[in-house]
Amino acid sequence: MAEPVIGIDLGTTNSVVATVQSGTPVVIPNRSGYRLTPSVIAVAKNGKRLVGALARRQAVTNAERTVVSVKRLMGRKWSSRSTQDALARLPYTVVPHDKERDDLLIQLGESTYSPPEISAMVLAELRLDAEAFLGQKVTKAVVTVPAYFNDSQRNATKDAGRIAGLDVIRIINEPTSASLAYGFGKQIGEKQICVFDLGGGTFDFTVLHMYKGVFEVQATGGDSLLGGDDFDNRVVDWLAQPFLEKHGLDLRKDKMSLQRLRDAAEKAKCELSSTQQVEINLPFIASKQPAGPLHLQGSLTRPQLEVLTRDLVDRCLSVCERVMAEAKVKPTQLGDVLLVGGQTRMPLIQARVRQMFGREPSKSVNPDEAVALGAAIQGAMLLHPQQEMLLLDVTPHSLGIAIAGGFFQSILPKNTTVPTSAHHVFTTVKDDQTSAKITVLQGESEIATQNELLGEFMLTGLRKAKRGEVDIDVIFDISADGIVSVSALDVKTGLRQSITVTASSGLTEEEIKTAAKANEEWMLGQKEHPEFQKHKARAEEIFKQFDELWPRLQQTAANGLGKEPMQRAEAALSLARLQVQQKESAGLLASLERLELMLGALRGAVERGLVAPRGDRS
Amino acid sequence: MATLPTPASAGVDLPPDLQNELRTFDAAGRDVSLYDLLGIAPDADGATVRRAYLDRSRRYHPDAWFRKNVGEFGPLLSRVFQKHAAAYQILSDEDARAAYDRTLSQRVSQRDREALERRALGREEQERRQREGRERLLRTKGFARIGAARRLYEEALELAEGGERAQAIAGLKAARELDPRRAEIAQKLAEVEQEAARSRSLLAFKGAREQEEKGDFAAALKIYRQSLEMDPTNAGAAAAAARCATMLGDTQQASLLAARAVELAPDDVETRFLLANAFVTLGLKVKARAELKRVLDAKSDHKEARALLKRV
Repeated sequence: MAEPVIGIDLGTTNSVVATVQSGTPVVIPNRSGYRLTPSVIAVAKNGKRLVGALARRQAVTNAERTVVSVKRLMGRKWSSRSTQDALARLPYTVVPHDKERDDLLIQLGESTYSPPEISAMVLAELRLDAEAFLGQKVTKAVVTVPAYFNDSQRNATKDAGRIAGLDVIRIINEPTSASLAYGFGKQIGEKQICVFDLGGGTFDFTVLHMYKGVFEVQATGGDSLLGGDDFDNRVVDWLAQPFLEKHGLDLRKDKMSLQRLRDAAEKAKCELSSTQQVEINLPFIASKQPAGPLHLQGSLTRPQLEVLTRDLVDRCLSVCERVMAEAKVKPTQLGDVLLVGGQTRMPLIQARVRQMFGREPSKSVNPDEAVALGAAIQGAMLLHPQQEMLLLDVTPHSLGIAIAGGFFQSILPKNTTVPTSAHHVFTTVKDDQTSAKITVLQGESEIATQNELLGEFMLTGLRKAKRGEVDIDVIFDISADGIVSVSALDVKTGLRQSITVTASSGLTEEEIKTAAKANEEWMLGQKEHPEFQKHKARAEEIFKQFDELWPRLQQTAANGLGKEPMQRAEAALSLARLQVQQKESAGLLASLERLELMLGALRGAVERGLVAPRGDRS
Repeated sequence: MATLPTPASAGVDLPPDLQNELRTFDAAGRDVSLYDLLGIAPDADGATVRRAYLDRSRRYHPDAWFRKNVGEFGPLLSRVFQKHAAAYQILSDEDARAAYDRTLSQRVSQRDREALERRALGREEQERRQREGRERLLRTKGFARIGAARRLYEEALELAEGGERAQAIAGLKAARELDPRRAEIAQKLAEVEQEAARSRSLLAFKGAREQEEKGDFAAALKIYRQSLEMDPTNAGAAAAAARCATMLGDTQQASLLAARAVELAPDDVETRFLLANAFVTLGLKVKARAELKRVLDAKSDHKEARALLKRV
């Protein structure tokens, strides 16, 4: 059997894992049977790590030890505005870490973790789900990121994969991934489509051209700080503001109340996609008040929600307009519009999309699952190339360097097909200059500091010469993952120059290895668990069947079967019950097999009235 | 294209004919036209260009051979794919393709030149038809003129959005003639004209940069100046031209260009320093001092500026 490869949609609020099984992409349900796993991590009061639905369920009572929406912090610098904005809304504690790297850590229980480590916990959980589903070890994965993710965010995601023990063979863009799920197995000659992807934390819009299995991304754009969470926050503010005015108490300041508000807001928002009005009821929202506990009650209508969030939808549509202009295409020329991400269920969004594109959005992909399915397809395409498909993706941002005067000079424009490379010649400006600093940035602003800093590189050991005589050719490569690497050559001597990274927010090799080892140990601890759970469930079923059979068995015994088979069954049953209690996985399995044989034989005896049990061979 | 008979490498999972193709494409220099590279005729339309590129990608994209043993062909695959992608980038853009065709027509065979001319004629024919349509509208009278202007204006907006700037400008000019009192027409016209100038300027700038990187400063200076003329607000072109003039030893010209550059981009410390240097060379000490002070105001740790200020 071919080596399994999984596709993971590592979402802001929910994650999905999928694989391709005998040529068909399928979503892998988690071990609780659900197709969506909340991207939530918690440390319970007893110190145990909780992942997914379990973590989410206890978020209200344990808000400070629960991490949600960690994707918003991936690859971000502590001092950046986007981080500080995100922090104001997060109920857990985030602290600055290394000054030089300007990175951050998340406080969870007694320890602190980097964002990739937290994401790795979700990935490890999904990996366990996949291994349980496929019945074999899984190490290869394709992980998706928003198209608008920059280099640091992509690297952070790749690091998370490595920590979770996964070989991330490719990072692909979410909207592109969704389009793969859309195009898979269809006989499409040639078609131009767009993907409108509004997830929990990010918005992406992508225009693609499909031709005989080749998916060519023409333009992509988005907003990495615009998502379903922002819609929730509008409702949270709408609930909290009048409360503040009435009682002088800001519920958003208390971590537990904030979590309850957020849950209520999200639930209300989702319900308003199918109903016109919802009641919001939060009793004892503030219980420690001197004047007695306070309650929050309200009712929200769909038009009200639409007024609260109209500008967010407008922001999405203006991104669409910009990207279509870049792709030189008009809305009405597109052959299909795919809606991806849970937030696109909102009727207002569907109506505005219909209005803009003059057509009904496609219903052929599931907005929650398409991204993971596409990632699984891409994985299969790469490793088992009988799939005649190819993905041509683009860089979402311009790549360039800081030049004199604090300006930004673009070297690789955005929407360039990857892999790609470009080079730029630097010249020494001083006599006997032996080193030079290159600042690499990503973004569209002409002012260097307004763009995202990818890193500062030091060219060292330059040969001594008059100024202007040493030309260094610096080569920038962007891989098919959208990840940037830099190398340099002395033009005259052809010698490779050494480059040292002096500023980067990424984890060091050492840190990744340590975290990966810790994760591996945790996974080993989890491994026995699901297997035992399976045996336990089977044991419960067998106990039940014995219980049901027992009265008739007693009758049969009286009719001549004798007491001995029953006594033996009773002994085996009590042994199995003990093994369940002591979690003896292997012993229990042997007992269960014996019990099943007995059950079959005894049942036969009952049916026939009386015959010696044949299966009872211990 | 001649295929070099090179023995296929053993132990590599790529078919021998692909190995040969990769070697040939990798060796192909500038004498191989972008049309030949993509295997299409010079008068191929946009859809044909795209299909050719996508078909080639299927064969040469590194992902098509992912985790195969490609040996020495790894970097080759990447280079060959990028060559095709770069060719497609140019040929799929109206403006860039027209510019490329102009440089190409000087050195292609008779047959290809004819094809290029056919394409240019096709473009002209389309433009002629649109022009005639506009002229017909211009002959309308009375109130109908306002409606006609609006129609032209809307059409021009679409054309501008689609990147057909030349056509959009012609349409807007006609619309302005029909309805001179509508401000948004004139405004859009100015906007599109400026955009067109900027885009031309940028294209020239890129060409100049190539020359500069090759070390041909005289040629670079000429094109940088053209770029600046096309878009007088292009500070980068002014600064680059000043740089080239300095390299050529034309201090007078360098000072004028640098002055223009810092006027357009007052924060460009290096160009201001270059300007100060030029003033020193020209013996204009007072002016030089003023500029150096401004350099240090913006960047107090500029050592060269400090040293030079002391000297003057």
